[in-house]
Amino acid sequence: MIEILQWSTLAICGLIAAARVPSALRGENRSLFYIFALMTAAILLSIEAPYVAIDKALGGINLANLLLRFIIFGAIYFVGIRVTRGFGADHAYRLITGRTGMTVLLVISLAMVCMFFLMDTSGSSAGLARVAAKDSWNAALVEYYGAAGRAYPSYVSLVLLPAMVRAVGSRLPVLVRVAAGLLAVGGVAIALTLLFPVVPPEWGALEFIVNYTAVLCFALGLALIWAARVRNKKGALVRRTSTET
Amino acid sequence: MTLPAKAFQRWLQGVAPEASTADVCRISGIKRTTLAQQLVRGKVSVTTVVSISRAYGINPVAALAEFDAYRQLADRQPGPTRCELVSQISTADLLHAMLARQAMDPDGTSGAEPPALSPAPHPTSVKNWVDAIDDGEVRHRVSAATGIAPQNYSAQLTANRLTAELAVATARAAGVGLASGLVATGLVTEDEAGWAPGARRAALDSLSDGDLAVLAGDRLQALGKVLRRQEQDQAQTEKIWENLG
Repeated sequence: MIEILQWSTLAICGLIAAARVPSALRGENRSLFYIFALMTAAILLSIEAPYVAIDKALGGINLANLLLRFIIFGAIYFVGIRVTRGFGADHAYRLITGRTGMTVLLVISLAMVCMFFLMDTSGSSAGLARVAAKDSWNAALVEYYGAAGRAYPSYVSLVLLPAMVRAVGSRLPVLVRVAAGLLAVGGVAIALTLLFPVVPPEWGALEFIVNYTAVLCFALGLALIWAARVRNKKGALVRRTSTET
Repeated sequence: MTLPAKAFQRWLQGVAPEASTADVCRISGIKRTTLAQQLVRGKVSVTTVVSISRAYGINPVAALAEFDAYRQLADRQPGPTRCELVSQISTADLLHAMLARQAMDPDGTSGAEPPALSPAPHPTSVKNWVDAIDDGEVRHRVSAATGIAPQNYSAQLTANRLTAELAVATARAAGVGLASGLVATGLVTEDEAGWAPGARRAALDSLSDGDLAVLAGDRLQALGKVLRRQEQDQAQTEKIWENLG
């Protein structure tokens, strides 16, 4: 079940990224292509088999996990910039790119890197499950490391949330409002990941579902805005030709 | 909003006792599937009754009066007030009339007669009609009488829509002729509602230069607000597409 969710999310993100290649080559909104490419890479790295393969190539000390965290940070940072710019949420934009946002990013990154190197990270294992199993010291570090990795995406998505809720209730085109709704749901899901430490271990599947819901909502939301634009262009074209004839 | 199918069948029996449903549809230009669906659901729309009565040469207002919900339409109605008549003149026609007035054209250089008034309804006719008959409390009385939430009522006015039921309820609450609202919503024509031909032109001509100027100014201001809001929405949408499309 979880495997299906993982691979289908990967496929969806990969397809959207591939679909954006032509417009990226034309120079239209390259950063959106980067966002989808980063998301695809992040999902790839969160699945056991590809993770182990890539990490083996990087030396087998779970560097791929650290890489994954920064890929997620990069993706969510670009999402934050693009979405706040697009929806005209200037205050949110400053909270992400301004001094506050940079401080949050820096502090979290430093904490994460420190904890990573304090751990005994030998032995590739997705989600650092085997590292956590080594002893209680490593288990605690993995917990805090994970929390730090979830903190920055949560920060950005909470910053985005008010603008998205406002957009849902606005007079924008329906597809854009649906997209804003998806982004809002994704934002809530990401923020919920902060509560993972208090989730009982037998509900582990819930964590996966929340994670992939977040990724899927963001990917589909962004793709939907794109679709809305394409539809609008076609509509404008039809309208123009019909008035000419 | 709709009429019970049973009552409709009874009425149709009286109007066209020999005709089959197919005949009725052919003569009145209603799609067979539409009528069949309305009959199956047990709810026949008022526009169906209006179309059929026109096709059989019956006054649609008199036809509606055969149904319980619209019984009072059969009573003797007061004629339209001057405010109502003027409210059913489009903004463009008001502006034409203003340009032809002495105050705007002291030398009488243009000399041209303003064009004939376009028939009601016009793009803001519903809202203009309610504003014309509103003593400040009409909206309250309508929502108290019909149970519609005030925000839903004003949403309909803004969209230049009003169900036949609400149009009659509004006229009743304002103490004006009950069929006036049906003209403003475009369900029936001025003639069918018993408005004298040329009544709108006469009402317009009876306005002083000052009253007409103020009225035209109000209409322009409302139009400006709507257009500005549309432009803002469009600009916001463009911005979203520029950043996320």
